[in-house]
Amino acid sequence: MTRGPRAPLVLLLLAAACSPSSPEPAAAPAGAGLRPPDPVAAIRQQHLPNIELTTHEGRRVRFYDDLVKGKVVAINFMFATCRLACPAATENLREVQKAFAGRADRDVTLLSISLDPERDTPEVLRGYAEAHGISPGWYFLTGKRDEIDQLRRKLGAWDPDPVVDADPQQHTGLVIVGNEPRGRWRAISVLSKPVRIEQAIERVLLPPSQWPTGEAAVQAAPYEESAASQRRVGRPAASDLILRD
Amino acid sequence: MRLTRRDLMKLGIGVGGMALLPGGRLLADGGSSDLPSSPSTTPFLVELPIAPIAQPVAPFATQPDPADCVNVDGSTAFHVHGPRVVPAGTRFFLLHEQARAHSFHPQLPPNVIWGYQGMSPGPTFLAESGVPFIVRFVNDLPENDPVGIGEPITAIHRHGGFQFPEDDGYPIDTFCSGQSRDYFYPNEADDLQVQNEHSTLWYHDHAIDITGPNVYRGLAGFFLNFDAIDSLLGEEDPNPNALRLPGRMTTLPSGEPFREFDVPLVVQDKLFDQNGFLVYDTFDHNGFLGDKFLVNGVIQPFFRVARRKYRFRFLNGSNARLYEFFMSNGQSFTAIGTDSHLLQHPVTVKSFRIDSAERVEVVIDFSHARLGEEIFLVNRLQQTTGRKPDGLVSPGTPILKFIVSRDAADPSQVPDTLRLVTEGPEQLLPGVTVKRTFEFERSDGAWVVNGDFFDENRISAKPHRNTAEIWELKSPGGWVHPVHIHLTEFFVLSRDGNTPPPLEQGRKDTIEIGADRGDATILVPWPNQFHTVPGPVAGRYVFHCHNLEHEDMRMMAQFDVQA
Repeated sequence: MTRGPRAPLVLLLLAAACSPSSPEPAAAPAGAGLRPPDPVAAIRQQHLPNIELTTHEGRRVRFYDDLVKGKVVAINFMFATCRLACPAATENLREVQKAFAGRADRDVTLLSISLDPERDTPEVLRGYAEAHGISPGWYFLTGKRDEIDQLRRKLGAWDPDPVVDADPQQHTGLVIVGNEPRGRWRAISVLSKPVRIEQAIERVLLPPSQWPTGEAAVQAAPYEESAASQRRVGRPAASDLILRD
Repeated sequence: MRLTRRDLMKLGIGVGGMALLPGGRLLADGGSSDLPSSPSTTPFLVELPIAPIAQPVAPFATQPDPADCVNVDGSTAFHVHGPRVVPAGTRFFLLHEQARAHSFHPQLPPNVIWGYQGMSPGPTFLAESGVPFIVRFVNDLPENDPVGIGEPITAIHRHGGFQFPEDDGYPIDTFCSGQSRDYFYPNEADDLQVQNEHSTLWYHDHAIDITGPNVYRGLAGFFLNFDAIDSLLGEEDPNPNALRLPGRMTTLPSGEPFREFDVPLVVQDKLFDQNGFLVYDTFDHNGFLGDKFLVNGVIQPFFRVARRKYRFRFLNGSNARLYEFFMSNGQSFTAIGTDSHLLQHPVTVKSFRIDSAERVEVVIDFSHARLGEEIFLVNRLQQTTGRKPDGLVSPGTPILKFIVSRDAADPSQVPDTLRLVTEGPEQLLPGVTVKRTFEFERSDGAWVVNGDFFDENRISAKPHRNTAEIWELKSPGGWVHPVHIHLTEFFVLSRDGNTPPPLEQGRKDTIEIGADRGDATILVPWPNQFHTVPGPVAGRYVFHCHNLEHEDMRMMAQFDVQA
């Protein structure tokens, strides 16, 4: 964990002890004359480590230099033996890839990173990719477990409960979409309707004047009412009625 | 006098954004994921700022809502209403959303924030029931922002307010840089019932997917409502029925009106880089935590008080942090209100816990303090992740220093009866026929309500106006979620089957569920009618988790009130 410069304990205590009722003249502001950090550089530094990964085609690549730099990306975490969210996620992303296929103005790189890198060798991932009929521009990636873990955390796919965090299944529900040169990053559920993922990507990719808009964008997914919307149960249960003082 | 570390710990003085644990170990109070801590700052250098009162302007012709502002999710406004109907007696306001340099602390460089009138918190509205407002908000935020926190697309939600759907800040009803939108606030109690007169509301940005960064950047302010008994005259009100709670109107030497002895306090946490510039983490979906504690926009201020009673309106305006406040001298708070309403009767508490977007109104009595005495407001709830608080620590972090500096007359009182509920669970429950359950949870790392993300085209409840429903709000995954329901205020029937704690026995519009607080069963009354501009209560409003990072990842749903 990185930590900023911190004054020695004793100095901090003295500062607190001063706690003046007539405020002392303020020290010169830190960072006087400096500018706020460049947000794109800050994101690269804090969130996009340049770890080494291997693609399902057996190519060795660097995460930042080769996969993300200058690109629009959609990133998810998966593993080949995952039977719950992953197959649906892969299917959704395949729909998204199809929607963008052949459009030069929609150049999106898909990155699916294995959370089970020992078992998910490049060969296993190639088999997975072939079984799901994916096209060029989509990389299934494996690497060193500790580095992938670090990458996952830096991309925001982590849980503060260590037990939950240790379960790879718990990180398979997100897709992180980003436009690296613009510094625009978001995450949505990879189990959203594919058209919603497609829209999310378009909105990091395109200038706002070209974003999908308005009623048409809303209606891109059909109107629905969830099961709770019309729930009627008759009289409330007695237990609902007696619990207040 | 030289204070030892033991003295300091007894005084409950933490350091900067850190707390001292027994044994003297320094503990970071949070901070987002692996980001570096903020630089140290000397506490209590700056006087507590109190936002100016929003001043009415000459009437203007209201305009139709802009329809072409494109949200970050690609939608445009759903409610596109024509010019508002303006009843006689309406007051007009004009507020600009502006980028402006702001000092969080004299030891940090100025930061460019986004604020209403360029300030954070924004100007405080003082409304009186029966006098409606038209507020034009103008978006002057820069299209190209070098800081990279927030997007210059906004919608304004008057949190706790009773307003038409088009004036509720529905998350896709936005306006862009260079545009403005008029909001009509009827300033009437729901269904004109005295029990529903509002007290402490707030207004803040509510644009879809970017509420977290936009509010963090500064877009929040107070909206206080007064009525015949909880009046603007306050403690000076000659009306025998007036509550005469602490507070009165006065005039500053500048000629500006000022509300004295009745002080809104918004508490927020923020993180700064080593050079003192504001940091936000767009990759943090758990809930962004800062390690500096701000009151009314500045880090750890002091406030000079007189030896008398004060009314403080606490708002937790943090994105994801909870607080539990104590007084360093062990004295009690007299709680008089929660969220938008006064309580039926005051409640004496040694501490109170407050989650994102909740309000707690308390009276603090300094009449027994010595002149020159210094008393600290201390947060003892430690939180290191967006998931939930870790628990109470001692001594905690002092966030505000009261300096008792003078005497002042005190004609105020805290009557035994504040705002009686005449139509509560006893009257409403026999007519209830609808019960719904909403589970707020994490699903494979994403946030859902009953398994769904917010989709503009999905309706999760269709309640009928002028009815009441029972909702069960559940958080099965051990996370804390402050659930906020727009349009109405609800009664808490039970907590995991038990009687709710005293500060949840009034009305609420935001309730913490999960972790040690458990699930909540609530009674939700749906109002019937608007009167100031007559019309049925109908249409789409949202309810959502008010941990803003959860909300932005679409832990939100909507109901469509049936006329």
